[in-house]
Amino acid sequence: MKTEDLKNTQEYKYGFTTDVENIRAPKGLSEETIKFISKIKKEPKWMLDWRLKAYNRLKVLKEPNWQKPKYPKINYQDLYYYSAPKSASEKPKSLDEIDPKILETYKKLGIPLVEQQRLNGIAVDAVFDSVSVATTFKEELTKKGIIFCSISEAIQKHPELVKKYLGSVIPLSDHYFATLNSAVFTDGSFVYIPPSTRCPMELSTYFRINASETGQFERTLIIADKGSYVSYLEGCTAPMRDENQLHAANVELVALDDAEIKYSTVQNWYPGDKNGVGGIYNFVTKRGACRGKNSKISWTQVETGSAITWKYPSCILQGDNSVGEFYSIAITNNFQKADTGTKMIHLGKNTKSKIISKGISAGNADNMYRGLVDIKNKASNSRNYTQCDSLLMGNKCGAHTVPYIKNNNATSTIEHEATTTKINEDQLYYCNQRGLDQEEAVSLIVNGFCKEVLQQLPMEFAVEAQKLVSISLEGSVG
Amino acid sequence: MLSIQNLEARIDNKNILNGLNLNINPGEVHAIMGPNGSGKSTLANVLSGKNGYETKGLIKFNETDLNDLSTEERAQKGIFLAFQYPLEIPGVNTNIFLRTSLNAVRKAKGEKEIDTLTFLKLIKEKASELGIDEKFLSRQLNVGFSGGEKKKNEILQMKLLQPKLSILDETDSGLDIDALRIVADGVNSYKNKDNAFLIITHYQRLLDYIKPDFIHVLSNGKIAKTGGAELGIELEKTGYANIS
Amino acid sequence: MKQFYDFKVEKIKDLSPEDKNLREEYLDLFYKNGFPNKKEEDWKFTDLNSILSKNFDNITNKDFLLDNKKLNFINEFEHNHIYLLDGKLISSDLTYEDRNKISIIDFNYKNNITIDKNNSLNLLNNALAMGGFTLEVSKNYKLNKPLIIYNYFSKDIKETIINNKNSIILNDNSELTLINYIDNKSKDNFMVNSMENIEIRRDALLKNIFINNSKSAGYFYKYIKSDLEKNSVFENYILSSGLKFNKLDIEINLNQEYAKSTIFSALNLLESEHQEIKTRINHNSQNCQSYQKIKNVLSDQSKGVYQGKIFVKKIAQKTDAYQLSKALILNDDAEFDAKPELEIYADDVKCSHGSTSGSIDLDSLHYLKSRGIPEKEAYKMLISGFLGETLEKLIEENVKFFLLKKLEGQINGN
Repeated sequence: MKTEDLKNTQEYKYGFTTDVENIRAPKGLSEETIKFISKIKKEPKWMLDWRLKAYNRLKVLKEPNWQKPKYPKINYQDLYYYSAPKSASEKPKSLDEIDPKILETYKKLGIPLVEQQRLNGIAVDAVFDSVSVATTFKEELTKKGIIFCSISEAIQKHPELVKKYLGSVIPLSDHYFATLNSAVFTDGSFVYIPPSTRCPMELSTYFRINASETGQFERTLIIADKGSYVSYLEGCTAPMRDENQLHAANVELVALDDAEIKYSTVQNWYPGDKNGVGGIYNFVTKRGACRGKNSKISWTQVETGSAITWKYPSCILQGDNSVGEFYSIAITNNFQKADTGTKMIHLGKNTKSKIISKGISAGNADNMYRGLVDIKNKASNSRNYTQCDSLLMGNKCGAHTVPYIKNNNATSTIEHEATTTKINEDQLYYCNQRGLDQEEAVSLIVNGFCKEVLQQLPMEFAVEAQKLVSISLEGSVG
Repeated sequence: MLSIQNLEARIDNKNILNGLNLNINPGEVHAIMGPNGSGKSTLANVLSGKNGYETKGLIKFNETDLNDLSTEERAQKGIFLAFQYPLEIPGVNTNIFLRTSLNAVRKAKGEKEIDTLTFLKLIKEKASELGIDEKFLSRQLNVGFSGGEKKKNEILQMKLLQPKLSILDETDSGLDIDALRIVADGVNSYKNKDNAFLIITHYQRLLDYIKPDFIHVLSNGKIAKTGGAELGIELEKTGYANIS
Repeated sequence: MKQFYDFKVEKIKDLSPEDKNLREEYLDLFYKNGFPNKKEEDWKFTDLNSILSKNFDNITNKDFLLDNKKLNFINEFEHNHIYLLDGKLISSDLTYEDRNKISIIDFNYKNNITIDKNNSLNLLNNALAMGGFTLEVSKNYKLNKPLIIYNYFSKDIKETIINNKNSIILNDNSELTLINYIDNKSKDNFMVNSMENIEIRRDALLKNIFINNSKSAGYFYKYIKSDLEKNSVFENYILSSGLKFNKLDIEINLNQEYAKSTIFSALNLLESEHQEIKTRINHNSQNCQSYQKIKNVLSDQSKGVYQGKIFVKKIAQKTDAYQLSKALILNDDAEFDAKPELEIYADDVKCSHGSTSGSIDLDSLHYLKSRGIPEKEAYKMLISGFLGETLEKLIEENVKFFLLKKLEGQINGN
């Protein structure tokens, strides 16, 4: 670990680096790089062909520029697309085989992989740069027929499922970053819940970017078969560096008849320093298909990190009576920028969606909610309710709300409400009067403002997320 | 006048009424009491012909089968429902609403439509009886009215439309003692040997002012007990727990 | 895609060589982009290029022969008037006013709005504009009666475009109620592209009302840019149902303290009518207020669109801004799209929006029916209540009564 990286760890306590020897793909984006990734992962030919098809599409696609946060042009030839600790080049078969330095890293991040066999009731897949280094509780899950492994492993062991569902929600050439991911994705998690099965524990993936000049392109695919249920959680951190690093993930969810997927994210990538130097570009495509009748997909996100966050976890409500939910907290401080929201596409009858978004902006930051609710012609008796609230702290930041609302059905209802305010002075005064200092009071009020979303998180993470909300706003009140 | 036989009602796949029987004759005042969720408001809604309920059983009103009639036809035949929560309808002027309503009922009876001037005179008179300020009549229907004002407006409509059967759905809820007295006086002054009342309520309170001939206790979608005015006083003491 | 338009500057008579060159430049700029399409954020829900290409074979510009028409006056209330034929100022009548206090003159091509280079319809207007008026009200003068602008169009208008420019200036502490009235029953497709510049000085009050007499196959676009000084008020009432296509693009700049703007819109759209209200309210100073209430009732295959943006500058503390859009969708082929947008850089503000769309409220319908009102009548009652509510704040009783009557007529399909 480099000592200079440990400076200011108060501000971002996950900002350290782990010194491990890496195997890297040649720098730059090319057919060779893709072949290198595919080869090192021992992928079958169909997978390589799929990647190359995406790469060919990418050549004709343009990087989008409609989003509000602008960023300097990324030189895609100056990035590493694959970087893995040498020790993990063969995936360790048991936890004893993992490089102790990596185990130490996860322990420091609060995700012990070994000790007493890990966190209570949570199975973890740990992704370190481009590879999955460990998956816990595998045996217990296997007994129930649940598949929880890295996507690389799934490509080899469960090709029929991967072939059927990969790219079925986010098509190969959906947009620039999604297509880039399809060409060069390195690792990520794969989950399959068999019919009528309730996954007995939370499944979790922990993403860690460690190497410099490296982009992380993870791919997650979750399939909930008929009548099943799963709750999945992802967390992310990265070292403090003064360069911007790209994270362009694709996450696809498929819920069949009567199935439910709950997907929670606590995103705490390195946000850059006080002056806006460094930090992760978090350009993520997350999309879920409620393919079956009575299915449900619920997204919850707490976005506190990254220099730029740009993502819209979405639901395509195809099945009749299906339900989509989006609960979001996005906090931006200093020079952070967030452009996030959701899309709810109602296709089936009696489909319902709910959007609760809380944006908090402090310092010089810019926070934007952007969302689409689209009730199509055939989606009779459908409903959407949207509530977007923004909180501004100080006079140098901005809040922006851009909902796109389309209703093409006479029996369907859309309700949208939004407010933008500053923190309530009377509430602050009340807290001060009861002996809380300014920062404690703000933290209390902001947590209250976010309560509806925090409530959606699994218990253990809700507590963590609450702390994160407070820490992210430190120094934002004068 | 009203005869209900074996009435069942379902909404959203839930059974609310399970074989209810009730007979009301002209000149009678019936009260329906019962705990929350026993089906009191459903009975009112079904009698008024609200959409969304699946019903079985017979409801006859002066020899007409109500199941064949739409909400407005029932109203035109003389069934009036004073709503528990009268709707606020922005943009619709109270006066215009009342006149349209009165004329629709008159037209159905084969009477001549009433002209604006006669109507205004009539409505002012009825409003003052109930202590309703005239300026309410030129405001949007129920918009910004207090709970008591809304309920008084319901009674005003009753007196204007002159129904044969008036159903009062928890008209006493949200009323202070003065408003309660005004509402009760409104009902008592309208009551005669040709019309009847069905009063749905939680409490004895309203029945202190409007004396019922019969009290029915509704439980699980059926009438579990029937008695005279004294039953209400007894229920006030013992609650509904002993009746099932 | 087929070329469905052919515009030429030389069709405009009596231009100086200098003017001609300037117009040619604008026309070239227009031709670079053509009519706006849905790829442009401001036209996302209204693909004008495709709408026009479907409904026109070849739109051209002409220098019209003016066939003087007899005006069909509104006789419900006394008023002054301006008569525009094909966008050109023909005459004006200020019977009820002190003539020294108001000036109405022909448009001045050069002395007009700076245009938005990204707006190709503005470019086209600058290339082809041929008429309009400049209206100025003197300091402290409050008009006694409303001023109606009668918009008439020639008979021979098929497949043509009209471009005009108007200016309205209200000096300090003056007051004016303006009614933009389109009287046209043309079954032939034509297009109107207007630009209007409005200046409302200190303590002045402008009421701007939009209403049509009847159904018309006109495709209208109007761009209004307005600047408000201290303590001035700008009220808008939009009841422009009946046009085949209409987009009102309103920019309001609240430039000084205590300026206030409102927009009330009540549209009842039928058949394949398509109307969009696009607003941009710039809170450029502190203590300003803006309020928008947009209502649509959509039948048949009609489409209603609301794009509203509230922008609050860093210095605009104590801003109070609100936008509400409500739509009733009466048919599965009808559509309502909305984009109520907030962009806020000041923290001590009260900004919010609400948007609902859906069917008519069934509980309200039941309430009316339970009072004996037949279903069809109850429907109409709810619809006219829903739309009529937007006129609540208009204090001129006779004008309000006239507008409500028109609204009623639209709802009853007259």
